[in-house]
Amino acid sequence: MRARDVAELKVEQRLPPFPDLASHESIRERVHGIMVGELQAMEGAGRTVYDFPDAPWEFTMDMARQVWDESRHVETYLGLLEHLGGRVGEFPESTILWRCACAEDAAARVAGVNRGLEGLACDVFNQLIHIAQKIGDPIIEKSVDYVLADEITHVRMGSRWLNELTRGDPERRRKAIEFQETIDERFNLGGTRQDGHHEAVPISIAKQARKLGGFTDEEIERLVKSTQRSQVY
Amino acid sequence: MSSERLVGHLSVDDSARRLRNYRYAEERLMRVLGGWIALTPELPAKLLFGRHVWDCAQHADAWGRRLPELRAPAQTSEPANDAMIAFMQLLESPERPQQTLERIAGAYGVLKSHLVTVYARHLVSTNPVYEPPTRRILARCLEEERRHAAAGAVVLDRLIRDDHGRERVATWQRSLLAALEKAGGVTGDSAVPLVDPALLGVAPEVVVPDLVAVPPDFDPAALPADLAGAADAHRRALERGDAAGAAGWTETTARDAVAAAVASLGGRITGTRIVGLAAIGRQQMVKLRLESPRAVAFVQLRWTPTPSGWRIAAGDLVSTEPISAVP
Ligand SMILES: [Fe+2]
Ligand SMILES: [Fe+2]
Repeated sequence: MRARDVAELKVEQRLPPFPDLASHESIRERVHGIMVGELQAMEGAGRTVYDFPDAPWEFTMDMARQVWDESRHVETYLGLLEHLGGRVGEFPESTILWRCACAEDAAARVAGVNRGLEGLACDVFNQLIHIAQKIGDPIIEKSVDYVLADEITHVRMGSRWLNELTRGDPERRRKAIEFQETIDERFNLGGTRQDGHHEAVPISIAKQARKLGGFTDEEIERLVKSTQRSQVY
Repeated sequence: MSSERLVGHLSVDDSARRLRNYRYAEERLMRVLGGWIALTPELPAKLLFGRHVWDCAQHADAWGRRLPELRAPAQTSEPANDAMIAFMQLLESPERPQQTLERIAGAYGVLKSHLVTVYARHLVSTNPVYEPPTRRILARCLEEERRHAAAGAVVLDRLIRDDHGRERVATWQRSLLAALEKAGGVTGDSAVPLVDPALLGVAPEVVVPDLVAVPPDFDPAALPADLAGAADAHRRALERGDAAGAAGWTETTARDAVAAAVASLGGRITGTRIVGLAAIGRQQMVKLRLESPRAVAFVQLRWTPTPSGWRIAAGDLVSTEPISAVP
């Protein structure tokens, strides 16, 4: 189902459009959504390994490594779903992440997926770790912390290859960054992703994680600004 | 040291060529497995491929790094001959969602099992004095490919549902092996048999890290009792061809859309099954599999609680395909 339709149906029932993590059920729904997102991340990285046989070998190695990482993330979130008493398929999900991964150019794909979507994953996982600490769930806390470490690595791969693949080609770089920015804007999660402490905003932008992943201060600032004119995906 | 210990089988140049052949196979296989993940609906198979893309990448990388030590350019692949290219093209050709058995049978039952065979034979023929750098890579690739082949066999076994599936696998493996024989195996000069079952065995516990425990198939018992009653009554009406009865479970505003979704099956409904249930707040999406003598359709129905009980508030067709498309 389209994410927008699911959100509308929830609002009609006077429910929050996205899981707000205020209840056990809501955390489970978020974990379910992440698990499906990880599947799509694995599919997307796999496609990138296949689609660009002429890309530099080290680029392919990074993408192949990412496939393996995402397969562990799927396994991790399958486990967390079980830990929370859920089952696969219990919430409707969309293929929006996959659709976003389908850029024709390798540079646009790493910008959009590794920096845009995986940057978003850093924000979401950071928040989930915070909630796990608050409710005293070390299983969630520990496992998501390891996934977050991987995602930062993936963002860093994206930062590296955005630079290397577009070296000497400012037009290609501009298009790739533009693609990333459309994704950043699209995934502001209904305006819930903002700058600020976990307690003050629904989803805090993980500035530290993003810096580790190669985001510049200026880029983070731009992202913060874009969340102030957000849209629901 | 006796001169026996210095006997060798391959020259440096021949060894480099052989390593390029290995790299070709590992690299292609890595890309093919990666590309297949998104084309494969079954979770155990998806995750099997996801597990192994990185291992194949590392094998290709290790062979590619070894090359300059053998006076050859680094990271280059070389198919043994045109027939080897044709074999790889055939191997990667099953791309339809219903061809998961062929994908696993080809990649694991044929190519990976062949690599195990070739690596094992090569390892015993390498010289222990001057070829240890190659031997170390061979030993690692051999061990991992052997594990992969065993994991592939486990998943394949899980997905084969009947004799028809077994027959499909056997037929496909025969045609791939014939194509591989035409090439003379990955190196162009591999001895027959190209797959030696005696070299393939691993202990079951060795395979565990390659297999992700996936949840069981959907169990209709997940439906709350009152919804199960309504959903069952609705699909029984569909099976009887009782359009008015089915419409009685559907809100007036949704009747046309739901009827159109069901009608897309194009023919008398011979069977129905609930295959999925997802919650949107208090509403429930029920996924229904409909079968006619000629086609299978999946329809999604949104059930909503009303004062008179559960009713269908919306419905659409997810997919439909002729039975003949299901191999
Ligand atoms: Fe991930
Ligand atoms: Fe990732």
